[in-house]
Amino acid sequence: MFFERRPGPMDPQGEVTMLLTAWANGDQTALNKLIPLVYAELHRIARRAWSEQQQYNTLQPTALINEAYLKLANVENASFQDRCHFFAVSCTAMRQILVNHARQRLADKRGGEHVKLSLDEAQPVVHQEAAEIVALHEALEALQAIDPRKAKVVEMRYFGGLGIEETAEALGVSVGTVNRDWRLARSWLIRHMNRENP
Amino acid sequence: MNPQPAWEEIERLYFEALNLPEAERKAMLAGLGPALRDEVESLLRADSSDALPLSPPVHMAADLLDAQPDALTPGQRVAGYEVDSLISVGGMGEVYLARDAAGRPVALKLLRRHLIANPQAVDRFETEARAASALRHPNIVTVYESGESPEGLFIAMEWLDGSTFRVVMDAGAAELAQAMDWGAQAAGALSAAHSAGILHRDIKPENIILCKNGVVKILDFGLARQGEPARPEEISSGASGTISGSLSGTLLYMPPEILRGETATSASDVYSLGTFLYELATGRHPFAGETPLDVFEAIEYRVVPPVRSLRAAIPLEVDRLISRMLDRVPDRRPTATEASEVLAARAELA
Repeated sequence: MFFERRPGPMDPQGEVTMLLTAWANGDQTALNKLIPLVYAELHRIARRAWSEQQQYNTLQPTALINEAYLKLANVENASFQDRCHFFAVSCTAMRQILVNHARQRLADKRGGEHVKLSLDEAQPVVHQEAAEIVALHEALEALQAIDPRKAKVVEMRYFGGLGIEETAEALGVSVGTVNRDWRLARSWLIRHMNRENP
Repeated sequence: MNPQPAWEEIERLYFEALNLPEAERKAMLAGLGPALRDEVESLLRADSSDALPLSPPVHMAADLLDAQPDALTPGQRVAGYEVDSLISVGGMGEVYLARDAAGRPVALKLLRRHLIANPQAVDRFETEARAASALRHPNIVTVYESGESPEGLFIAMEWLDGSTFRVVMDAGAAELAQAMDWGAQAAGALSAAHSAGILHRDIKPENIILCKNGVVKILDFGLARQGEPARPEEISSGASGTISGSLSGTLLYMPPEILRGETATSASDVYSLGTFLYELATGRHPFAGETPLDVFEAIEYRVVPPVRSLRAAIPLEVDRLISRMLDRVPDRRPTATEASEVLAARAELA
């Protein structure tokens, strides 16, 4: 035998299900263990999707999250609530991934180290988007202190790419509530960002 | 001051104002205290702004996948080997020039599991380690050791000083006697693999190395199998590099039976080698085409001119051999052993 198949990082399914249950039962430390697992999986899926498709428009965060869910959660035994919890965690992980990456991009650009000559028209868009993501992330942290649920709604919709209904489902609130949260949160965030970066 | 009730108040007034017609809204706001009015008014102004398109950041998601993992740095150790420099990197992992304990150069293939998204990559890596280790032949790259280190799965292989036949052929037509000798060596390697029951399944110039001492070595047994069916999509997406690159690279050497989804046999390897020999002898690829579809069609239907019609000096036996290797019916092709014998005999005569 050349390679021994080891349980652990390569087979995190059982661990994820266990942590989701623990988190659902009120164990907050479980969340901190869950996020890195989901984070790694999202990264893996995203990378694979990228190498297979090489197309921007096919990379929807929500598709990545769905795939991570199928891969990580014990779907057959998972309850509806498990699924909702998983989506909530995934959106947080997706936010971390995107924000870290956006910061990296902005740093590269400022430092001038990123000498990746490209005539790709997407580049300016990407930089603008990177700045927008970081600004939104910071504004969202401020909103979180005032109204955590509204911040969560934005996180799920913007960073997770979830629709209104999926977001309502994941948060266990009505569609009307998500709509209202979304609308006020959006106004609040725009105002906050205008004040921070006039 | 307790901010929480204030926020709820703001929220209530914000939605109340949103639902009012313009005139009534103004009247309602005018009735509020200055601080509260300022809060609600500024939020309403933001509501009508289109500053934040709250859609998921799709470009960013795509962009972040572009980033390559950091390579190992010189001096870093993997198992008993010290990394010297990065040679190549692709979807299937990285290849480093490294040194063993005695300071001898080795080629170190490394697959960093956590950085690899392609689920086929690990299988392919393990297959390569197993297949190549099972083969000892002067014309097959020697695997010294393989295993798992904290950095990932690794294969330590003989360091080959030379270039791939892609590079050799790009440099121009080869001398005939030399081409036949190289062909004989490559066919000999396949013959040995087939005798051991191992199919290569991805024979192409990129996987055949000409060492500076004139020795030919076949590498990349990552798709090797023992008599299992091969599928075109598996081969195309399993090969190194990007999909588009690997598809065009591999497709050109793909036998018609594999395109049709049939089982690969030793005759499939012989066909791929025949395509390579044709190109090596004439400088022309028999199934070249503008698009993958053209190549598909050429492999299925093109009547390929005999190599002697392109280069008259090619001996008749070699011309016949290559034509038989390219026969669309696998059973009519010669074995790799026969090909090796014919080519070796002609190379000696020349």
